[in-house]
Amino acid sequence: MTALAQATLYGLLQGGLLALVAVGFSLVWGVMNIINVAQGAFVILGAYVAWELNSALGLDPFLGMFGAAAVLFVLGYVVQRGLINLIVNAPIYLTLLLTFGLDLMLVQGMNIAFTADFRSIPTSYAGNSIALGDVRVPLGRLLAFAVAVAVTLLLVAMVNRTRTGLSIMATGMDRGAARLMGIRARHVYALTFGLSAALAGMAGAMVGTVGTFNPAAAGGYTLLSFVVAVLGGLGNMYGALVGGLVIGLVEAWAGQYLSGTWVNAFAFLALIVVLVLRPSGLVGRAFYATRVEV
Amino acid sequence: MRLSTLLVITSACALALSGCGSKGAAQSDAGSDTLTLGAAVSLTGKLAREGGLTKEGYELCQSKVNAAGGVPVGGKKLKLDIQYQDDTSKPDTAAQLVEQFNDKDVKLILSSYGSANSEAQAAVVERNGQVMADSAGADNKIFEKGYRRTFAVLSPATEYLASIVKSIAELAKPKPKTIAFVSADDGFSKTATEGGIAEATKQGFTVLPAQYVPNGTSDVSSALTKLKGQRPDVIIGSVHLVEGIAIIKQAHELGVTPSGGFGESVAPPTPDFAKTLGGQAENVLGSSQWTDTVKGQDKYFGTAKQYSDDIQAKYGHLPDYHDAEATAACLALVLAAEKAGSTEPDKVRDALAGLDTESFFGRIKFDQTGKNVSKPMSVIQIQDGKAVTVWPTEAAESKFVWPGAKQ
Repeated sequence: MTALAQATLYGLLQGGLLALVAVGFSLVWGVMNIINVAQGAFVILGAYVAWELNSALGLDPFLGMFGAAAVLFVLGYVVQRGLINLIVNAPIYLTLLLTFGLDLMLVQGMNIAFTADFRSIPTSYAGNSIALGDVRVPLGRLLAFAVAVAVTLLLVAMVNRTRTGLSIMATGMDRGAARLMGIRARHVYALTFGLSAALAGMAGAMVGTVGTFNPAAAGGYTLLSFVVAVLGGLGNMYGALVGGLVIGLVEAWAGQYLSGTWVNAFAFLALIVVLVLRPSGLVGRAFYATRVEV
Repeated sequence: MRLSTLLVITSACALALSGCGSKGAAQSDAGSDTLTLGAAVSLTGKLAREGGLTKEGYELCQSKVNAAGGVPVGGKKLKLDIQYQDDTSKPDTAAQLVEQFNDKDVKLILSSYGSANSEAQAAVVERNGQVMADSAGADNKIFEKGYRRTFAVLSPATEYLASIVKSIAELAKPKPKTIAFVSADDGFSKTATEGGIAEATKQGFTVLPAQYVPNGTSDVSSALTKLKGQRPDVIIGSVHLVEGIAIIKQAHELGVTPSGGFGESVAPPTPDFAKTLGGQAENVLGSSQWTDTVKGQDKYFGTAKQYSDDIQAKYGHLPDYHDAEATAACLALVLAAEKAGSTEPDKVRDALAGLDTESFFGRIKFDQTGKNVSKPMSVIQIQDGKAVTVWPTEAAESKFVWPGAKQ
C-alpha cells in the first residue's frame, strides 16, 4: 500500500513537470496551429541558461528560471517574427520542416557550445525529501510541481482577463476577424511564441534542477510535449496540466505493477485510448480543429 | 540496328571502365606510404559524449604512432591516417559508413562507440572481408555469431557487474547478504546483468529479481519503489550515465538506503557522474575497463600513467576509460599490421588473431571468438569526488571503503 501511495505521489509530481514542459507547446499549437518540433531544444536551452546563471552568479535555479524565461522569450519572439512568420500561412508540413530544422541547429549549436557532457544544476535542497509516514515527498520535485500549477493558473488568468490574453485567444479563433478588430496578428503571434518559449525555458530550469540534461535529451522532451498536448487536448489552457498528470500517473502505476520496460508502451496506450474515446483530447475543444484560417 | 548495338556495347564498356576506374582511383594502401584506418564515430546524437572520447583516443593513437616515425611494415615506415565519419549515434548509419569505407578500399576499421553500433558494423565487416578492432562493443552476443574479423580489446559485458560482485565478496566487511540488480533494457546492459547475477549466485549471495527500466530513462523511481520494500543490502545498476545518475538521485529522494550502498557499471568512472551528483556519489562502486593503475606497457604509449599524462596534456582532462579502450583498439591494429608485415586485410586479421602483447591497457590477447579475455576489469570507487581504483587489490590506489554509499 505504501508502495502504491509512493508511486502515485511520485507520478503526480513527475506529471506536473511534464505539464510545464508541454504547456507552451500546447499553447502555440492551439493558437497558431504550429507544431513546434524545437520545443525540446527550447527546454534544454532553458536548462543551460539556468545552469550558467547558477555557476557564474550562484543564482538559485528557482530564481534562475526567470532569467531562462526572459532569454527564451526574446529568442522565441525573434524566431517567430523573423522566421516562422514567413510561412505562417503555409501548409503545416512547412512549419514542421522549419521547426525541425531549427531543432537540429539548436541541438547541434548547444553540442558545440556546451559539449555533450551531462549536467545538473546543484542545490543544497532539491535532492532532499520530506517524510510523510513511509512516503517520501522529494522537495525539488514538489517545488517544480508548484511552479507548474502556478504557471498554468497564471496563464489561464492572463488569457481570460488581460487584453493581451484575449487578443491571443481571438487571433487563435479567427485571425481574419481579429485583424478586422484592429489586432496586430503578427505581433500577437510573436508574443505567443515568445511566451511559449519562455515557459519551455522555465521548465528547462526545473528539469536541470531535479534531473540531468545534455543536448541529446531535447528530442525526448519534444515527444513528451506532443503526447501530453494531444492527450490533454488543445484550446484549453488546462489541457497540458491534465495531460501531464495523466501521463505521470499512468507511467508510475505501469512501472509499479508491470515490468519497468513497459512504462512507455503504457503511456502511448493511454494516448490511444483517450483519442478513441475523446478525439479532441481530455479537455480539448473540438472547434479548434474546424476553425477558419483566413 | 547496328548503330544501337554499337552504342549499347560502347556504353557498357564505358560503365565497366568507370567502375574499374573508381575502384582503381580509391586509396589502396598497397605500395603507398600510409596505413589508412576508417572510423565511424558518434559525434552527434545521444552517444556524442562517449563518441567524442572515442575519437580522442583514436586521435592520440595517430599522433603518438606518427611521432614515433609511423608503423614499420615490411621495411617501410607507414604514416597512420585515420579517416572519421559521424554515425549520428545510429547503428544503421554506423554500418553504412563501414560499407562506404569499403567502397573507398579502406579495409581496416576502428569501431564506433557501444555494442549496438559495433554489432551492426561487425556484420558488414564480415561480409566485406574487412577487419575491425572493436573498442567499445562489449556485448557477448557480438561474439556468438561466428564472426572471424572482429576483435574486441575490451573485457566482455558479462564482466562489468561480475567484477563489482567479486570485489564485494572479497573485501566488504560485514559481508552483505542480498543483492538487487536494476538494469537498463538494452542488449549490453541485460548481458551485463546476466553476468552479475551468475557471479552473485556463485558467490552465495541471495539475488532479488532484477528490475528492468527503459534504456536511457531519467526516471527509475518505479524500480526503486519496488525495491524499497524488499530491503536489499546492495543495489547494483547495469546502466549508462543517465540511468546511473537517476538511481542515486532518486534513491536519495525516495529514501531507499541499502545498508551496503550502491554499485553501477559504466556510469561512476565518467567524471560527469561525481560532478553531477556531488556528495551523493561518495563511495559508490563502479566498474571500469581501464584505470591509470593498470599494469603493463608498450612502445608507443608507455605505461598507463604516461598515457594518462598524454591525454591530460592534449585534451586538458583526465582520461576516461573510453579514451583508453579506443587507443588500445587502434594499437591492436597497428601492432597487427606490423607483425603481419602487410596491410592486406587477411594477413592483418591472422596477425590480430595471434596477437599476445602487454600494453598500457593491460594484456591484449583474443580468444577464438575475438574477445579479449586476458585483461581483468577494474573496480573503482568514488572517494572525495574522484574515481579511484580499489580492486583488484594489486592495482588498488586506495582502500575499499564499505558500505558503498555516503555515510
